[in-house]
Amino acid sequence: MVVATLVSVCVIAAMACFLLITAVKARRLKNLPLHSRLELYPVPKEGGGRAKYGGSYFEEVEWWAKPRSIDKVSETREILMEMLFIRKLFQNQRSLWWASWGFHLGIYVMFAWTALLVVHAFWAPAALSWLATAVGVLGFVTATLGALLLLLRRAFDKTLRKYTTPQEYFNIVFILSVLLSGIYCWSAIASPFAVANGVLHFSGQDLPWQVVIHVALLCAMLVYIPLSKMSHYIGKFFSFHKVLWENDPNLPGSHVDQRMHAATSRRPQTSWSAVHVNPPKTTEE
Amino acid sequence: MSVSDKTLMPKDISRPKAVLSPIDSLAPLPAPYHDVGAEPGFRAMKPACAEEHCASLDGFVALDGLRRPQSKKEEDEFVRAFVSGVSKIFADSNNNFLQPLHLTMDYCAKCNTCSESCHIFASSNGNEVYRPIFRSDILRRICKKHLTASGRLLGGFVGADIDVNWESIARLGELAYRCNLCRRCAQTCPLGLDNGMIAREIRKVFSQEMGIAPTPIHSKGSMIQLKTGSSTGLSKGALLDTLEFIEEDTEEKTGRKIKFPIDKKGADVLLVHNAGEFLSWPDNPAAFAILFDEAGVDWTLSSDMLGYDGVNYGVWYDDAQARKIALGQFAAARKLGVRRIVVGECGHAHKASAVSADRMAFAEDKVPVESCIPVLADLMQSGRLKFDPSKNDFPVTLHDPCNIVRQMGIVEPQRTILRAICPQFREMATPGVDNYCCGGGSGFALMNSYNFSDFRNKVSARMKFTQIINAFADEFENPDIIKCVCAPCSNCKGTIRGVFEFFEATAQYNVHYSGLVELMVNALASMSRPYLTFEPEL
Repeated sequence: MVVATLVSVCVIAAMACFLLITAVKARRLKNLPLHSRLELYPVPKEGGGRAKYGGSYFEEVEWWAKPRSIDKVSETREILMEMLFIRKLFQNQRSLWWASWGFHLGIYVMFAWTALLVVHAFWAPAALSWLATAVGVLGFVTATLGALLLLLRRAFDKTLRKYTTPQEYFNIVFILSVLLSGIYCWSAIASPFAVANGVLHFSGQDLPWQVVIHVALLCAMLVYIPLSKMSHYIGKFFSFHKVLWENDPNLPGSHVDQRMHAATSRRPQTSWSAVHVNPPKTTEE
Repeated sequence: MSVSDKTLMPKDISRPKAVLSPIDSLAPLPAPYHDVGAEPGFRAMKPACAEEHCASLDGFVALDGLRRPQSKKEEDEFVRAFVSGVSKIFADSNNNFLQPLHLTMDYCAKCNTCSESCHIFASSNGNEVYRPIFRSDILRRICKKHLTASGRLLGGFVGADIDVNWESIARLGELAYRCNLCRRCAQTCPLGLDNGMIAREIRKVFSQEMGIAPTPIHSKGSMIQLKTGSSTGLSKGALLDTLEFIEEDTEEKTGRKIKFPIDKKGADVLLVHNAGEFLSWPDNPAAFAILFDEAGVDWTLSSDMLGYDGVNYGVWYDDAQARKIALGQFAAARKLGVRRIVVGECGHAHKASAVSADRMAFAEDKVPVESCIPVLADLMQSGRLKFDPSKNDFPVTLHDPCNIVRQMGIVEPQRTILRAICPQFREMATPGVDNYCCGGGSGFALMNSYNFSDFRNKVSARMKFTQIINAFADEFENPDIIKCVCAPCSNCKGTIRGVFEFFEATAQYNVHYSGLVELMVNALASMSRPYLTFEPEL
């Protein structure tokens, strides 16, 4: 009874931690100072058909005097292709893509499975049970196969092995342990529907020790992921949207202009030591 | 795969060895240069010079201002300054790069997707030290060890495994100058991370904290520019003399009389060239004058401090230098009261003034900057310039300067021009934003200390030379056919000139290079004599 209640609390707390730490990291990245422009073309938001070949507003004479053409549809399509299909990896390193995409697809499907389990705990038609079971099987299989392939590739590819730290092996092994213990528990020990139902309703039903271990690993993983570099799901948004695709010019009255003026109140406290560098006098954005 | 470095790992950067990873293999060039053994070899560093500087990375020296310490105390101070500098790239002293820096340092998945996109890595047949993540991972591991609690507590488990000493730091400094900053690797990264930017951050630590940078781009580059007005050392008086000479020479050679407008207050356009054009390729500023005069553009040159040289070497290695130069250039434009700055054919000057400097000054303190390329395309398309394409009836291909194309998105206007004026225009393989660097980017074109020009000619420019040969296919080996590479960038032209000389491509196969405006003037209907004579380079 006590263990079961604790599991309920831990699951909910771990999910909250995952969301909270993710939000804090995203906020910290967002609040970093306006940076120098580092765009790389193609920039998919460039309108007028320019995104297709990598063109920009710089192709227009007196570009600053003309309204910018922004293609939000192209930008959204491009980021969805990256998020859902990891297109750059597909285009540039197909052999690794199969494992990586399988793994990430599995994770996405597992999120969907988790959502279905939550819904099922409160509304449980037979069709939903079938759907959730199918989604769960698909998620576990693809994520586990992907993770295994990624681990093997890192272990046996002589280039990747040279650059992979023990912590990075640990990350994959950690996720694999959660996946494999989950496969074991939900296929041989307990029904995920019953456990989800008990956890979400704080029913206090006894849980098999195997399930407790799996859920403990899962909770630890939910807290660890946003703290580790596996939180690249946060970084990827910023590296594309706020660095590579961020080409907004500093024109009078623009949001860039406003941010630059706002930054003048924050003088840098650190300065460079080389003789030719003057101590900073104003904020350089 | 290069032979000597199959097992080399980032932590080996501190391994005691005379040369950590010599270049023992090169990618083959197409015919007629397919016999790698037949091309001139690398010049070895003189032992005394190698000992004085750091030639222990790959046998080349770029950082000619970096000298081996003479005492333990000097080495300790060197290490302290480097670690201090590294800490400062994560502090508010580096506000303008914090976000992209954190992203690349924190999120690299070591998937190695970037490697194959790097022309230097490919040209060296995969020399491990040139792998884009090799350099970044060394910095990452040093940061872990010296700047993070996890590194101090968990050490090698989190990758904090690199010992910093003079040799490892000096090698890393050299390694930052084995990257052209073309950022082609960043284009392929599934996480959108930027190893080119990391190379530049390392350069910044060396320059801004330790005062160490290659002489041609710092003490004889940006410092000279801030002192005299131009990185060439060209003073105002010398500029005026040079322009007068170009006017006379142009009239003598072409029969066309030109007069450079100087310091014309309130002109519509301030045209800013790379001042190297005045000295090395005077036909280029003369061609601009012919085109702008014929089209009736209201334009001027500046003779004011920093107003007549658009280069800004700071963008390659030092934010402070970049900012001082950029602000000086804006000041010169404001003083003349021009409506806009048009940047001539210089790639890094394009990026420096239009992109990098965009957020160095408040909007009201700037003058709008645009590239000459769309301006020229507009003059052609609006009918203000008339061409006879038959004058350019020889094979022409186009080199896309990274700064103008991949990093600014100016792709089509130059193609619109070339398609109209060059009947035999053809693209290189992987054109446009996917194109390869000329091999001279980020200062390499200017760096000739010791044997560094061998690295440029044989390694960093190898992919571009391959593309050029392939673009002309069967015509390449026929010396009776003039072939021309259009390279609308001074540094790219300088690099291509060096490669053509090194491989004797002009002398043997009649292959030439040119800017865009020279080709335009050559095809100008009103010109009575050819503008391009395609004489062998002397």
